[in-house]
Amino acid sequence: MSAVFKREFLSYFRSPVGYVAIAIFSFLSGFIFYSMFSQGVANIGSEVISLRSFFVIIVPIITMGLLAEDKKRGTEILYYTTPINLFSVVVGKILAAFALYAVMFLNVIIHAIVAVSFGGTIGVGSVGSIIVFFFMAFMFISMGTFASAITDNQIVSAIVAFVIILFTQVLSTFAEYIGSAFKSIALSIKISSDAAAKIGHNIDSFISWFDPFAKTTDFRIGIFSVSALVFLVSIGILFMYLTYRVLDKKRWSQA
Amino acid sequence: MIEINNLVKKYGDKRAVSDISFTVNDDEVLGFLGPNGAGKTTTMNIISGYLSSTSGTVKVNGHDILEEPELAKKQIGYLPENPPLYNDMTVREYLNYICDLKGVAKDQRKNQLDRILSLVKIDDVYNRLIGNLSKGYKQRVGIAQAMVGDPPILILDEPTVGLDPNQIIEIRKLIKSLSKTHSIIISSHILSEIQEIADRVVIINNGKIAAVDSISDLSKRLSGQTKLLMTFKGPSKDCVNKLRSIHGIVSAIPRSSGNNLSQIEISIASDNSTEVRSSVFFMMANAGWPILELCSLDPTLEEIFLSITSGKARK
Amino acid sequence: MSKQIKTETKKSDNRADKLKLYSIGSVVLLIAIILLVNFLFDRMFGNALTFDFSDAGQNSLSQESIDFIDSLPEGTAIRVVGLFSRPDEVDSTPYQYIIPLLDDYVRKSDGKIIVEYIDPNQQPAIISQLDPTNSYNLSQKMDSFVVQYGGKIKVISPIDCYSYDEEYLWQTGNYLITSNNTEFTFSNAMYSLVKGFASKAYVITGLKNTGNTGIMSIMDSMAFEVGEIQASDVFSIPDDCDLLILNGPNTDISEKMFVSISDYLNRGGKMIVAVDYSADNITETYPRLNQLVNIMGINIDPLLVFENDPGLQMSENPLYSTVNTSEEFAGYSNMPYFTNAFARSIRALETPDSIGTTIPALFTSNNAQVKSVDANGNIMDNGSEASGQYNVAMYSYASNGAEMFVFGTLTFTSDTYLNEYGYNSYNADFFRGCVRELNDMNDAGSLNISTKLVDNYSIDSTKATASNATIILVIFMIIIPLALVSMAVIVYTKRKNL
Repeated sequence: MSAVFKREFLSYFRSPVGYVAIAIFSFLSGFIFYSMFSQGVANIGSEVISLRSFFVIIVPIITMGLLAEDKKRGTEILYYTTPINLFSVVVGKILAAFALYAVMFLNVIIHAIVAVSFGGTIGVGSVGSIIVFFFMAFMFISMGTFASAITDNQIVSAIVAFVIILFTQVLSTFAEYIGSAFKSIALSIKISSDAAAKIGHNIDSFISWFDPFAKTTDFRIGIFSVSALVFLVSIGILFMYLTYRVLDKKRWSQA
Repeated sequence: MIEINNLVKKYGDKRAVSDISFTVNDDEVLGFLGPNGAGKTTTMNIISGYLSSTSGTVKVNGHDILEEPELAKKQIGYLPENPPLYNDMTVREYLNYICDLKGVAKDQRKNQLDRILSLVKIDDVYNRLIGNLSKGYKQRVGIAQAMVGDPPILILDEPTVGLDPNQIIEIRKLIKSLSKTHSIIISSHILSEIQEIADRVVIINNGKIAAVDSISDLSKRLSGQTKLLMTFKGPSKDCVNKLRSIHGIVSAIPRSSGNNLSQIEISIASDNSTEVRSSVFFMMANAGWPILELCSLDPTLEEIFLSITSGKARK
Repeated sequence: MSKQIKTETKKSDNRADKLKLYSIGSVVLLIAIILLVNFLFDRMFGNALTFDFSDAGQNSLSQESIDFIDSLPEGTAIRVVGLFSRPDEVDSTPYQYIIPLLDDYVRKSDGKIIVEYIDPNQQPAIISQLDPTNSYNLSQKMDSFVVQYGGKIKVISPIDCYSYDEEYLWQTGNYLITSNNTEFTFSNAMYSLVKGFASKAYVITGLKNTGNTGIMSIMDSMAFEVGEIQASDVFSIPDDCDLLILNGPNTDISEKMFVSISDYLNRGGKMIVAVDYSADNITETYPRLNQLVNIMGINIDPLLVFENDPGLQMSENPLYSTVNTSEEFAGYSNMPYFTNAFARSIRALETPDSIGTTIPALFTSNNAQVKSVDANGNIMDNGSEASGQYNVAMYSYASNGAEMFVFGTLTFTSDTYLNEYGYNSYNADFFRGCVRELNDMNDAGSLNISTKLVDNYSIDSTKATASNATIILVIFMIIIPLALVSMAVIVYTKRKNL
């Protein structure tokens, strides 16, 4: 695991990818911080929350090559023919991407130091937002790594990761549409309007239950919910395990 | 020692490898031969643990590759057909990474790498980017990679493909020197190479084993006939007819044609039981066609290979 | 032969099939475990494992509310209905502190409090169900909550729960909440519904043309039951009066009223008086009203306040200005930007009958003047008094419990002003503060829940200068990204040629 982690993490800095990803992140976070600062406010919590919307761009960039590139180069054979566990390969890769995110996050730490030195405060909500940010980063990186495992084309992998992450971001809106679609279907088959509304509402709230953003929204106001973090971690682990299974598929695939 | 028993690999309904069994002894070089698509690479991938077999077992020094993969894989160094190289790493970074992957202890690492570097002769490119190396060097880095961790068994899939003759000789020498301390399975299209290095050969065709034997036994087994190559001056057609009438000669095939009296080569095959050279000499002398050269041909691996894989081997 | 191959095929397929089954099975099992674990955490332990670390327990109930809820008898059913679908994203909306707190009510009430979100667009029946007489006009209040108990309701709009930074809202369009009264508002609404209305305020009407709608709805939202007393010959103050308000009279009070109110004050009554200088009362000097406020040691002078400090003037008009407040009253609002217009000067005046001790509440700069004005609104010759600090509002308290605020301006109480600037302007905040001060909620049988200060992320305004902002811009948006990009280029070119 440490071998794969070390290689993947260092490889971000052996090629321009890591620097460019950090540069993009620095620019975006710098812009958010500057816009707040110029209005006399420095809320690290809301900066972090705004940065969450850039997962959809940054995560695919840093995960697209993780496994797809190995397949293309033929270096994936090393994972199968050396005495290393495939699961630890997956863990190492995800940790490497996660560590890159942590390096990027130094920007926000610097912003926080600047904010404090200018008389601002780091409230408990900011700490909550940061915690959620990292748990979410883990989840999305797992998703991105999974996308990277199912193809040998980096671009395809990036697009798949982009779509998956985008989908989670619009999940609530999506839930609303599905809910109202079911409601109108129920109405059209002559179910009473109250029951139809209930059906629509239940479907809406069922799908919305999976929305990681809605689940964790209370952290920014200082409410820490363990179950929300458990949700993020378990989805991350699920995708981690799926990735492992995709790699392991070689053992039984007849294709 | 590797024991391979009843190996089967199917892709859908197609059998890439069908019921292959053989063993590789300690400190032995085993040549692995077969035409393209015969299942060589698939077999090697299964032995190295990259693919798993549909059925059958591979035991590496007693460890089943599927049941004790980590122990089994520790015994094997594998150079696949395309060396698994990262073009964006230097040789140093790459080999250290492989050391990490194979779990080479920190204190042994330097000694081991030094030894491998001088053996494979890549000291001079140690700090260069793999992507900038020539094909020959890349292949050597690939071999170095396989040797990291001191596995007693090396599996080399087409190690000389695409190299220039000098490089081929170098690699061949390297493999020879390695063979003293390693069991090696080597596949190649360059049959002379196998002939030179291998103690034994396994020939497969259409996923099945066509022959397993030592090189010399195999030659003997195939040598039901002696081959001669004659160069002379005279008409080839008449000569062929006359030759065929000699007792013991099975075939006479002109290698070049023409009716003039220039040099003509004819290859002659005869029964082992009959000595035909004197009969040929007198026949040619009587006919007035001077023999310029007459030599006997040992069967090359190529011929063995061709005759076996085309299904015409005679027992 | 073919049979043999067949059996072999079957045998060999078994292993791959087994692995495949194991692989898929393990994924399915993992999904099942994850769903189960999440369900457990969400439904069973979710509440126990949710912690409020916010400063001042922003999102959890304080002990006062919990004690109140615990004191309710088993089977009490208080229903809180949000007249909208529950929003998923409450950040930066007025609900950001309300909805989490309501969740906490549900958690800690053991079924005594039910919170629902019902959008009347989807279920129109809810409106007539909550408010059968339509006296609250709920269909126009679809951002609000309705607290219902025993057939009675109270409507709480998000505005009632906060003070906002108006300046910030105006500049950025975002809410910057400055303090949070959500728990206060909801708990007291429940309290007053359960106990019956606890505090009663009366507004004196009939002495002016414009209404008292603004202050009445503010006080209504503060759990007051507000009534009106007509200024008449039979004027009397009901016994249940907790707070009396005289807002902008254009004529003086009657003798009967004076007697009645002075008696009320001597019994320890609370009162807010607000007058100003306008065309309608320009000649009025309020002798009887002054006699009344003199009891508390205050006098309303017939003098118009002129603010001469250009920094405090608004629109360069000395009659419109910002007024300062003293330490004691600064906490009424987050920012001391109180506006003032056409103010009468208020000063302390000790008479033999005075029982009150006065404190200036709102005052001008040291560079203000007060001037006498004639019936036409012109400044009278020699009517100016010397420059100095003049009061626009004063507070007075007496040992018998009587308390009084006297405003020389109507910018804190008039409908004109409140409608223009909203019930959440700083002035309205100040008015609320005055009401709370006078109607000490603890004594008046309401729950004393302190306002929670919201995290304030403002940075030191002396350091957050434009030049510092530019430095931030250059460093974080230009230098750092460019340095990284150039590192990328350097690493790339260097390694390319290794």
